[in-house]
Amino acid sequence: MDYQALQKQYLDLATQVVEKAAGKGAVAEAYISAGESLSIEVRDQEVEALTTARDRGLGLRVIADGRVGFAYTTDFCPQAIDLCVEQALANARIAARDEHNCLPARYPEYPGLDLFDQEITATPVEEKIELVREIERQARAYDPRVKITESCTYNDSRYLVVIVNSQGIATAYHAAYCGASTFVVAVENEDSQTGFGLAYSLRYKNIDPAKIGREGAARAVRMLGAKRIATQRAPVVFDPYVATNFLGVIAPALTADAVQKGKSLFRGRVGQQVASPIINIVDDGRRADGIASAPFDGEGVPTQHTVLVDKGTLKGYLHNTYTAARDGVKSTGNGARGTFKTTPEVGTTNFYIEAGNRTPEEIIKEIPRGLYVTEVMGMHTANPISGDFSVGASGLWIENGELTRPVRGVAIAGNIIGLLENIDAVGNDLTFFGSTGAPTIRIAAMTISG
Amino acid sequence: MLLPEGDLKAILEAALAEGGDFAEIFLERRRTTSISCEDNKIERVISGLEQGAGIRVIAGENTAYGYSNDLSRESLIQTAALVGKALKEQKRSAGRKGQISFHRPRPEVEFNIKKRPDQIPVAEKVALVERANAAARSVDGRITQVTIGYGDVIQEVTIANSEGVLVDDERVRCRFVVNAVASDGKVIQTGFESAGGHQGWELFEEVNPEEKARQAARRAVMMLEARPAPAGKMPVVMAGEAGGTMIHEACGHGLEADLVQKQLSVYAGKKGQKVASELITVIDDPTIPGKYGSFRFDDEGTPGQKTVLIENGILKEYMYDYLTARKEGRRSTGNGRRESYQDRPIPRMTNTYIAPGKDDPEAILRETKYGLLVKRMGGGQVNTTNGDFVFDVAEGYLIQDGKVGPAVRGATLTGNGPEVLKIIDRVGNDLGFALGTCGKDGQGVPVGDAQPTIRIPEMVVGGILDEEDKQ
Repeated sequence: MDYQALQKQYLDLATQVVEKAAGKGAVAEAYISAGESLSIEVRDQEVEALTTARDRGLGLRVIADGRVGFAYTTDFCPQAIDLCVEQALANARIAARDEHNCLPARYPEYPGLDLFDQEITATPVEEKIELVREIERQARAYDPRVKITESCTYNDSRYLVVIVNSQGIATAYHAAYCGASTFVVAVENEDSQTGFGLAYSLRYKNIDPAKIGREGAARAVRMLGAKRIATQRAPVVFDPYVATNFLGVIAPALTADAVQKGKSLFRGRVGQQVASPIINIVDDGRRADGIASAPFDGEGVPTQHTVLVDKGTLKGYLHNTYTAARDGVKSTGNGARGTFKTTPEVGTTNFYIEAGNRTPEEIIKEIPRGLYVTEVMGMHTANPISGDFSVGASGLWIENGELTRPVRGVAIAGNIIGLLENIDAVGNDLTFFGSTGAPTIRIAAMTISG
Repeated sequence: MLLPEGDLKAILEAALAEGGDFAEIFLERRRTTSISCEDNKIERVISGLEQGAGIRVIAGENTAYGYSNDLSRESLIQTAALVGKALKEQKRSAGRKGQISFHRPRPEVEFNIKKRPDQIPVAEKVALVERANAAARSVDGRITQVTIGYGDVIQEVTIANSEGVLVDDERVRCRFVVNAVASDGKVIQTGFESAGGHQGWELFEEVNPEEKARQAARRAVMMLEARPAPAGKMPVVMAGEAGGTMIHEACGHGLEADLVQKQLSVYAGKKGQKVASELITVIDDPTIPGKYGSFRFDDEGTPGQKTVLIENGILKEYMYDYLTARKEGRRSTGNGRRESYQDRPIPRMTNTYIAPGKDDPEAILRETKYGLLVKRMGGGQVNTTNGDFVFDVAEGYLIQDGKVGPAVRGATLTGNGPEVLKIIDRVGNDLGFALGTCGKDGQGVPVGDAQPTIRIPEMVVGGILDEEDKQ
């Protein structure tokens, strides 16, 4: 795709759509995304599937008399566009009036970010296929017990985002990211265990097939022979992957939307201690090599580095334009838009717990008996409103500061606030899994049900 | 029909021009309406039109797939040629020769949509949402937030393949969800209810949205007073009304042919073997009218059919799509599903349930001295490779001397599919359906699942350890 040409074409289209809606007495915003993607799946060194795609869509938000209406279309012919405008306006007439509904005005500037690695586009498909094959070879070479490949994949996406609104914003950017992952199964006697390795980046050269393959294999092999343990209370260590899973539950509670609607366990707690003093939680929409990085959010507001929890103290919440107007503050640039099919809600960008200064080994060494958790199951059933969670867990048993035997089929439960307050060690190994990142963390004590 | 037959033929021929032994086009036009009410106001009313086509070419066991939302004949022929070429680069094949002549398979069932959602004025849909909101809020002063969601979709599909299958279908679905939040100043709890099906606005003839809203609100309030769930092993009774998350996770996913063929399922190679107690029969059936996982044709144009997966404890059948069936030289069971034109079809469940048994549900409870009663299940997950699964208890009670005791919150049940299915010792004569969206390989599809009241003599309950709860 010629993104420069497309950018001009879509800026024109978005401008026309906004003018059409504005001509009927509404303030309006058109959001267009268009992109291409590639996905390669390899199994037993064969390309099992290869998918190429082209996709685009337009979402139109209008505000008339303080009421929001929204419609979207993937059909850009004039009749479909007209229908989209009519529907958005009609939908606004039935929605509730709210004086805080508004669109952002023009911004003088946006951060300059390097988001488009030419190498992602320029690298031939054959070379990308070879990269996935190498992941599988590395996983198999790590240990002969790695016998089954569930999946080995590479995918990338190149896309263009255009936002035009009737308040003066008319802006665009194009970006690309790529990633690879593997899920392999180690088999010994009657036992099968799965392990994964993955990496996402804005740079093609950062995707290291050897690291991904060996990590997947190592995770599977070390779980062979896992057994259940009896119910008990003990210290628990989350590896960075498991810690990011918990961070995913905290994210919605830190949005101003959830707070304003009384659905957040952090409501009314700004300035208070909500986590252990060794915890800092950050959202950074302009982080270098963050795959969620962008010059502006889904409403055209510049992205920023926002400290949400500083030394355990809650500093504030994430805002889009609406929640900011309602609280009388400035948007933090978190008007998140997963797709052109929805209005910009409040969401995270690159969201993470800051690294501490201790190695994971030191953290484990201090535990006489405890559980090192490497996988949790059913995390999506945790309740971000009450903060209650109860998940299946597996990992490695710690005895006298050493990882000893694999454990499976246990459950860990609690409340997220209690968990945050109970963290007594943070590792120096901040690792991102997509747009969420965390280091190793240790919880002083938890109930492990077996 | 979303494209004339002549165009479909030209596209399939272009897809096979470079070789390949199967080509398919899936065209989709999806019109949606969604309404959300939160904070006592109609916050969003969204209308959408999305259309696109996915083209698939297969040679041996290799697949190339491409999609686009440009539906012009030229663009689709171009996409088809690109997909065909991508496949050729992977693997040459003799190719498929001969003319395509289309035939239209007949569905095993016809669904009668009485009131198409696009014929109902949006104002009427908004009014229903507002009524439900008011009903939920009237339940208790401690209800602090209510979210009501309504959504409908009319999905038109045209599916054509080089074996001559040509299907036009329309899927109409309506869905209604309530999320209530209750708070007493210290504790926040939530209650959830949903209803929906492959049906039109007539859904609300059988489902009273206000009653659903009150149920969700009552559950949120009740959970404020619930005590933390106990932790450890104990007997579990799952009520028929609890939904079917357990069976979906404990064995449903493990019976999908792709996972079986990749040796990623504990049920691989076990056809004809005993995998569950003889009290257990498990069925997958998209032909039940009006259920959320129902359809006339799957997303490859195969008519939906009832499949007995486990019969009296013996594993009878897996769930197949076209590709997995072809690998075994057999026919698809009509379980090829995809979220949209952007996705390749894969074997998926439809409406999956444990068939009712003979026991009186009340007697099962009465004869269980202590344990956990699950009245409503939430979401779940399974590791199909070893069969370990978990699911969330949305409404649960302690069982004390065969009676329903205090409510508990925050419980998760974890177990192993084959182990749990083997030890089920009571199966009730009731059957309760629930709906959900099943995620697999990043694709969500609507499913229904159900079970009668059952008893599992021992399961791990993940709760917060409390000495006085221990038996």
